[in-house]
Amino acid sequence: MILFASGLGLILLGGLAAFGLDRRPALADRVFQWSAVAGCLLALAPALSLLFGGGRWIGGPVDSIPAGPDALFGIDLLSAWFLPVVLGVGGTIVAYGVPYLRPERGHRRVGLAHLVLAVLLVALSGVVTARTIVAFLASWEVMAVAAWLLMIFEHEKRETWDAGMVYLVLTHACTLALIGMFAVWRGGLADWRFAQLTPSASSGPVATGLILSLGLIGFGIKAGAFPFHFWLPGAHAAAPSHVSALLSGIMLKVGIYGLCRMIALLGPPPAWWGWIVLLMGLASSVLGVLWALAQHDLKRLLAYHSVENIGIILMGLGLGALGTAYHQPALALLGVAGALLHTLNHALFKSLLFLGAGAVVRETGHREIDHLGGLGRPMPRTAFAFLIGSIAIVGLPPLNGFVSEWWIFRGLLGAGLASGGLRAAVVMAVGLALTGALALACFSKLFGVVFLGTPRDESAGPRAPAESDLIGPQAALAASCVVIGVAPGLIAPSVARIAGLILSQPEGGATLGALGSALPLSLLSAVLVLLIGLGWLARRWTLVRRLRRSSTTWACGYARATGRMQYTASSYASPLLAAFGPVSGIRQVRTQASFHTRAIEPVLDLLGRPLWSRVVAAAVRLRPLQAGTMRWYLLYAILCLLGLLLYLQFAGLP
Amino acid sequence: MSLTAALGLLAVLLLAPALPGIANRVKSVVTGRRGAPVLQLYADLWKSWRKGAVYSPTTTILFRLGPVVMVCTALLAAGLLPLDGTTSPIRFTGDLVAFAGLLALGRFMLVLSALDTGSSFEGMGASREVTFAVFAEPALILCFTVFVVATGDLRLQGMLGQPLTHTWVATAPSLLLGAASLFIVSLAETNRVPIDDPLTHLELTMVHEVMVLDHSGPDLALILYASALKMALFGSLVVRVLVAAAAVSTPMALGLLLIGLVVYAMAVGVVESVMARLRMNHVPQLLVGASATAGFGLILLLR
Repeated sequence: MILFASGLGLILLGGLAAFGLDRRPALADRVFQWSAVAGCLLALAPALSLLFGGGRWIGGPVDSIPAGPDALFGIDLLSAWFLPVVLGVGGTIVAYGVPYLRPERGHRRVGLAHLVLAVLLVALSGVVTARTIVAFLASWEVMAVAAWLLMIFEHEKRETWDAGMVYLVLTHACTLALIGMFAVWRGGLADWRFAQLTPSASSGPVATGLILSLGLIGFGIKAGAFPFHFWLPGAHAAAPSHVSALLSGIMLKVGIYGLCRMIALLGPPPAWWGWIVLLMGLASSVLGVLWALAQHDLKRLLAYHSVENIGIILMGLGLGALGTAYHQPALALLGVAGALLHTLNHALFKSLLFLGAGAVVRETGHREIDHLGGLGRPMPRTAFAFLIGSIAIVGLPPLNGFVSEWWIFRGLLGAGLASGGLRAAVVMAVGLALTGALALACFSKLFGVVFLGTPRDESAGPRAPAESDLIGPQAALAASCVVIGVAPGLIAPSVARIAGLILSQPEGGATLGALGSALPLSLLSAVLVLLIGLGWLARRWTLVRRLRRSSTTWACGYARATGRMQYTASSYASPLLAAFGPVSGIRQVRTQASFHTRAIEPVLDLLGRPLWSRVVAAAVRLRPLQAGTMRWYLLYAILCLLGLLLYLQFAGLP
Repeated sequence: MSLTAALGLLAVLLLAPALPGIANRVKSVVTGRRGAPVLQLYADLWKSWRKGAVYSPTTTILFRLGPVVMVCTALLAAGLLPLDGTTSPIRFTGDLVAFAGLLALGRFMLVLSALDTGSSFEGMGASREVTFAVFAEPALILCFTVFVVATGDLRLQGMLGQPLTHTWVATAPSLLLGAASLFIVSLAETNRVPIDDPLTHLELTMVHEVMVLDHSGPDLALILYASALKMALFGSLVVRVLVAAAAVSTPMALGLLLIGLVVYAMAVGVVESVMARLRMNHVPQLLVGASATAGFGLILLLR
């Protein structure tokens, strides 16, 4: 715990140094970068030792640090699983953020942004390690506000401010739901420790149902699950790119952490809750990726993919709940293990993609992908990292996204072999396949339009070479994607153990082991890589003695094709979106000589904003109450006091 | 790996290029022409493989990598199938997801290599390819689900192998519906009529062909071979489901599969002869219809 605390302290110190040394930018940058990365690594050490060494590196086999339950903060296996998500990915984001914000020095408060980033990382670590309700909610609120401050870094832009406000409203709705959840859960107990939030603390199925529903709403808003996702795309797109990576890659995951923690403490949830989570997951994943396909703002597109991936994670969790409710522990384990692994995987590849997007934005000054093209030439290393991220997020072998989706697929297909109501869940496998196919369409569009071909708009040509000082963190994330994809056996036992913990199945690790190891996937990857290598060599060999010529791309004999004649992102996605009709969330704009599509956010634009304006109109009627004169306010205070006295009179003094 | 499994893999890899030839020959005969030789594709492959190549200056390494990945993923996917009806060379629980994933990886890389040229034609082809795949892939998984639920086995070796034979009589309606759906999916995945016309010669109307307009020489040979192999793979899926009805010895099952593949290619040729290609925006409807067919099969099993 000392290591953990000093690591977090180092991060905070680095942030303070960045803020304090604002006059000497070079020094401030270096101090912040080194101390924050070192702090992340230091704070990560106990979690990693729990995950991989059974705690043996830190003196004796333990499964939580500190061992007892009487602490404000502590690390158990579940926290240890989420800490690499927060601090491991967070470290790479900090390392990227410093050079990324360097050009902003001079006209923005970069030092302050670094400080807030440090606070956010510490708060996130606090959320996943809190052991009492108060510590949890306090860290949660610090996290929410710090994220808002970072989000509105470019606050003079109207859309940034708007997105920030939508986020602020939603995140407080979320906190409110969580406070309600804890209030119901704790009942009249005076004990704030999580350890006391056992199944017995809640009374009866009604209270349990209320806790589960409020938890799902609260954590669902934070995780950005449909139908609460609508704050997400705008907010994540508006933030600076490394902050987008942090919000999408890390902050959404504390919602998932909350759900896992809730299930672990409350005991296995009933079947109806599992079905709701499964359906929410299905809707999030299919609609998220469909709406992503409609976007042509680079970062909004990536943000919608977070909705999709959160959906996949929720499908895993829902399957976990259902498997337990229908007495199929093996399926439940597969679902939860898949969800946990996908949480880590998504943190890795989504951060990687956002960091790549940041490099593209820095290089070209554009987020609109219809103006981009051909960036694979000026920035080949970024393109390669982005390709790794794309293959991983689509869930293709041999990378990490495939491993977690494979587990969830196996769980869903296995549900078809179970007896009773669970069998219907097998249909969800088709939804998962649809999600995968749509993601393939979306990322072939994104990668193809941004990195391949030629620039579509000459003004979007290279401005400032952004690759060399931003590639390091991306390389680290890409390497992690490859390692988990090729050798999932390295972390599969830990995942299985934690999944067993969440589902209150202590023997979980052994059960998942019996279901088959992840070894076949490693073999498959190895054979695939070997085959591709051999194929490449064969192709090279046959071409050695042949004539290789260079000529223009075939355009039906037309030799003066320009970049503007290429397929654009809009035209690429058009037939697919047309097939989905009104749910696809786009408006087509045709004029005589141009065609483009305008993406809308269906929930926010068709439901959220009209509802909000009604609320505002209703609130206007209440305005006379706030007259601004002191005597009225005194009257309110006295009336309130009277009301409380009456309540105590009739409810009986405690 | 048993001897018959190895033989089966070898036979399918070698015979794959004959299948498009058979389909085209049937089409020629039905429409009253003589047509190209059945073994034409072997000659084409040999010719292209020994030629030089032309590359557009727009292209990068992805353009060259795409065909290689496509062939390799198809080869590996072939290794997952129980071609002799008993054993798959590579098998593990949940390998059906890997089968779909491998083919998707091949598609992804080929689409990227098409977009690498910066041509609007190839962009068009890529866009159509992924659009149809969005509807074909769930249908494929749904068909697999039918066989999984029918046999209770999450391995291709089981769901298309002997367990399927044992359950065939009891679940025949579902399996037939699944096979019918799989046949339509196979037409989409291998770019045949009524989804795509491999013999068309107008860039604007092509799907798969227009994606590979710029590939030449060995790259083109790899793509041609991979397409033929994909046809053999999907044909094997359909044929395995149908021939599993007969409980025969392993070598016999392999023989039945090879005969079945020829019949499958002829069936594809007949479909091509009797109908024209669908309008592009009707293709999703056909594939959703195929999904619904398999879905009925699944409901029969789950009831």
